[in-house]
Amino acid sequence: MKILLIEDEHSLAQSIQNYLTGNDFVCEWVFDKENALDRIIAHEYDCILLDLMLPDGDGFEVLKELKRLEKTEGVIIISAKENLETRIEGFQLGADDFLTKPFHLPELMVRIQALIRRKNFSGSNLVNFHEIEIDLLAKTVKVHAEIIDLTKKETDLLLYLIGNKNRVLSKSAIAEHLSGDMADMLDNHDFVYAHAKNLKHKLKVAGAGDYIKTVYGLGYKWQND
Amino acid sequence: MTKKLLSQTSRVYLVFAGLLLIGVAPIFYFVTEKLYLDDADEALILRKNEFLKDHADKLKQSEIPTWNEFNRDIKIFPPRPLTGDVLIYTYYYDSLDAELEPYRELNSPVLIEGNLYTFAARINLVESEDLIMSIALLFFLIFTLLLLGLYLITRRLSQRIWKPFYQTLEQIEKFEINKPGKPIFIETRTEEFVRLNHSIERLIDRNTSIYQNQKEFIENAAHELQTPLAVFQAKIDTLIQSPDVTHEQAEILVSLNESVARLNRLNKNLLLLSKIEKNSFADQTQVSLNGIIEKNLGFFSEQARARNLKVELDFAEILTVNSNPSLVEILVSNLFLNAIRHNIPNGQITIRISRRALIFSNTGEDKALNPEAIFNRFTKSNPAEKGNGLGLAIVKKIAGLNHWKIQYEFSMNLHIFSLLIPEF
Repeated sequence: MKILLIEDEHSLAQSIQNYLTGNDFVCEWVFDKENALDRIIAHEYDCILLDLMLPDGDGFEVLKELKRLEKTEGVIIISAKENLETRIEGFQLGADDFLTKPFHLPELMVRIQALIRRKNFSGSNLVNFHEIEIDLLAKTVKVHAEIIDLTKKETDLLLYLIGNKNRVLSKSAIAEHLSGDMADMLDNHDFVYAHAKNLKHKLKVAGAGDYIKTVYGLGYKWQND
Repeated sequence: MTKKLLSQTSRVYLVFAGLLLIGVAPIFYFVTEKLYLDDADEALILRKNEFLKDHADKLKQSEIPTWNEFNRDIKIFPPRPLTGDVLIYTYYYDSLDAELEPYRELNSPVLIEGNLYTFAARINLVESEDLIMSIALLFFLIFTLLLLGLYLITRRLSQRIWKPFYQTLEQIEKFEINKPGKPIFIETRTEEFVRLNHSIERLIDRNTSIYQNQKEFIENAAHELQTPLAVFQAKIDTLIQSPDVTHEQAEILVSLNESVARLNRLNKNLLLLSKIEKNSFADQTQVSLNGIIEKNLGFFSEQARARNLKVELDFAEILTVNSNPSLVEILVSNLFLNAIRHNIPNGQITIRISRRALIFSNTGEDKALNPEAIFNRFTKSNPAEKGNGLGLAIVKKIAGLNHWKIQYEFSMNLHIFSLLIPEF
């Protein structure tokens, strides 16, 4: 999977590139509009991460150029500028998702995966990991082809963990992911513990491998042993 | 007690006029009386001179009784010890009116046929008294009319002249710096009011621009902070991936993570406050408070369960308001979160909805908070709290924007926050 990152903040770009590279992703990075347009014309990407405030212009111009070239790449806007108007303008110009800075890298990862899944959608929408199968449309989880009973939050957590496999996910990253729109209100991440414990237990009962590891006080990790 | 400008000037005029009237009226009376007396004296002297010229040498001693009988006001009396003209006041009995009447009388020695007699001419002063009374009355009348006219004219004139001032005053009273709309001053030709309007306009322009700058500064600062925060967050997310993080380092990372989350929340709340002030949430619809609470109950119950709190709903009515849904949700969430955050382990939260009120009551620290201070920005009852001190400030801001009332009380060991929605 090829991803183009258009971001002028070098150290942020570096972290994003580092994080994404590895999980089946190749991440190319440009820091201004001109270079971005050069890349878009010459290459095909699975997903474009676009910052709106670029040193030589507005990120929206990149969106307009994509539209003009009739490119079908999925675009996630990553911006510090957050208000309803920018969101609406972004979506009208063809962006697929909007992530406000600051965000957690694992969150960006699952957003990219979800976008690519939507773009490549061909009738079914399944996420597999060994004996585990998640059907995103039916919202069911199977272990060894047997449906197991998970709550919505547990399914969300499972997807988040698998999407960021072999990465340590902090409790706050998980909490914010599970809380959706209410994430800004959160000041206590203790509830994550209960969800992780329940999910771990249910998977174990269904006969799945023990993939969820606790990392000190930091958080959790989906590990393929 | 304050008094209107107009009544104050009018009062001064009236007091002055009254004093003048009281002071001048007696003087006027005495002067008029004196003038009349002088006039009477002159007339008496004239009569004497006429008598001396026309009658004194023709009149015989034997004719004196006849003269006295037919002349009412000029009489010849036996001689009195006089050396010259003497003017006196005296009273004579008027048999027709049956009363004593005042007279001015001139006594003067005359020679009739070589013998000394006393010439007496008199003028009735009753008429003069009447005249003086009439004049005084007339004077009083004119004076009163003059005063009344003066008062009315000043009043009318003042009202007209001061009109631009009152209009300016009304405009300033309506002006609010955080609301759109500048006062419009009506053109006036009075120099002082032109100056006043000019100065106020300048003052308002300057303050509005300072206020705008301040607002933009907060907004820009919050925006600018988002990028470094994003870097901070991304670096922590990266750092925790390193395989050889020790237990101690992990603890540091956890606390860093919490701090960046707090910074992030603080920043978002600052942005939210400036957005509310910028009126970015203008569109309104019918919103049910019951619906909003039920919608977010899952999230908050989860938070409450993590602290082992019991949440109880008591919805007696459905409370629907006309407002911005996002803002109402933020308000309710902040109140809910506040009740969770400041609770005690195994505590309780009750949410009550009545016809015009939404009431959150929760257990918590066993003492009342300062109801004046808790709604201010960055007021914290306990410095160790994780909250950012903006939650209740935002609640108050949103309530104020909708003309609702938010109040706090501590009763029966419960902290009670009531949102009161007045009827329209």
